[in-house]
Amino acid sequence: MLIPVLIIAGVLLLWLALSYNSLVSKRNAADKAFASIDAMAKKRYDLIPNLVSTVQNYMKHEKETLTQITEMRARATSGNISEEEKIDLDQKVSRAVSGIMVAVENYPDLKASTNFMQLQGALNEVEEQLSAARRFFNAAVTDLNNAVQMFPTNIVASMFNFKTRKLFEITEQERQNVDVKTLFSS
Amino acid sequence: MKTLEEFENYYNKSLRTDLVNLDARRKRVVKRFLITLFAIFIPSVAIFIITGLHLGIAASVIAFIILFFFWVRDKLFVKDFKEQVINRIVYFISPDLTYDPKGHINLSEFVTSRLFLTSVDRYNGDDLVYGKIDRTEFRFSEFKAEYKQVTTDSKGRTQTTWHTIFRGIFYIADFNKEFSGSTVVLPNVFGNRFGFMKKLMGATRREKLVRLEDPDFSRQFNVYSDDQVKARYVLSTSLMQRITEFRKKHKNNVYLSFVDSKMYLGISHNKNLFEPNYLRSLVRFDVLREYFDDLVLAVGIVEDMNLNTRIWTKT
Repeated sequence: MLIPVLIIAGVLLLWLALSYNSLVSKRNAADKAFASIDAMAKKRYDLIPNLVSTVQNYMKHEKETLTQITEMRARATSGNISEEEKIDLDQKVSRAVSGIMVAVENYPDLKASTNFMQLQGALNEVEEQLSAARRFFNAAVTDLNNAVQMFPTNIVASMFNFKTRKLFEITEQERQNVDVKTLFSS
Repeated sequence: MKTLEEFENYYNKSLRTDLVNLDARRKRVVKRFLITLFAIFIPSVAIFIITGLHLGIAASVIAFIILFFFWVRDKLFVKDFKEQVINRIVYFISPDLTYDPKGHINLSEFVTSRLFLTSVDRYNGDDLVYGKIDRTEFRFSEFKAEYKQVTTDSKGRTQTTWHTIFRGIFYIADFNKEFSGSTVVLPNVFGNRFGFMKKLMGATRREKLVRLEDPDFSRQFNVYSDDQVKARYVLSTSLMQRITEFRKKHKNNVYLSFVDSKMYLGISHNKNLFEPNYLRSLVRFDVLREYFDDLVLAVGIVEDMNLNTRIWTKT
């Protein structure tokens, strides 16, 4: 009688350990993915002072946006902000930067300057890498969320308090084309 | 990129009249071949069937070979064909391109692509085209790579068999984004029903499986990369769509890889491309059209994959 019980208990324990480990590795993967977004975002924040100083002499009407973007950068790089806030700021900065890029169309001199063109290349690059990092984050989080919600791993997940995470969503605003007027009037 | 209509115009205006000579040579080869065949081969086979003289047939085979090499064969025909047909079509597509009938991509480039990890024992290729379209440099050629398998039977006799690793067009282009590392896109032969096979198939690779969000793309391809973020940097959502469309257009298996800022693309093919066919006229548009189509397909990859868009730091 004892031996079958022991075997069942052993199998259960093994399954528990394996599920737990796979959940941990999935959670770590999501953390790692988030860190890679962070690294890319930091790269972009490094470019922002450069961007502001390059465009501010030309752009007379967008002063406010430039101040806003500088403030957002200061807040993001100050540290001690939550993951949610980071995501929020990241999206706001993305919108503001792409708005500036569109507004540049009105300033042919600026658009043609080599300084700006280099900067634009660098920004596009970082933006593309950021989008790659976000997609990786979403893939890792989907993987984690599936494991947390699907049977039978959801049992282990609830035992050890694994939580689902929020995906990086493309906001409604981003899906629409950038409307420069509303961006700068707000 | 030149359209088919433009090519038809070019064909009617100049190419056709220039090829009359070459086509006459082709006809002569075919005619002489048939004459030789009828004159010596068929009677001797008849004799062999009736009387069974082995010597007769051996003599006529030798006669046939001699005649073939000294009378029938046009030694320079293939060379002239490539110069007058393929070379001109390549030049017509873009004067910035160079055609080298005997050249091919290097084995080292094939290996660097990391598409096929089996070590190559024998390879060959021809019909190299290289140059620059707008801002993108590229080169492609026909290429065939094989590996050797030696088996020994119970009596100690060894037998060597050759297996094809890849045969088709191999294409290398400068990619429009700067990156290091390797990302490999292979055809998904199992479909999505056996998801675990995707992982298993990459087990021998240095690269790890990358799960991408485009469902159409994932159904058709398996992606392996040594960096999850870089893989997505290279395979943007629009590039995934372009690759899916490219695959639809060609029907053949398509292999892609992105290694150290370069793109490698293999399209499998079982036929020897850009070669003359003695049995088909050279002064027919539909025959020449096939060469044009095959070349445009390869040259057009630059546009298909949007490689001239250089909005990132790489120029």
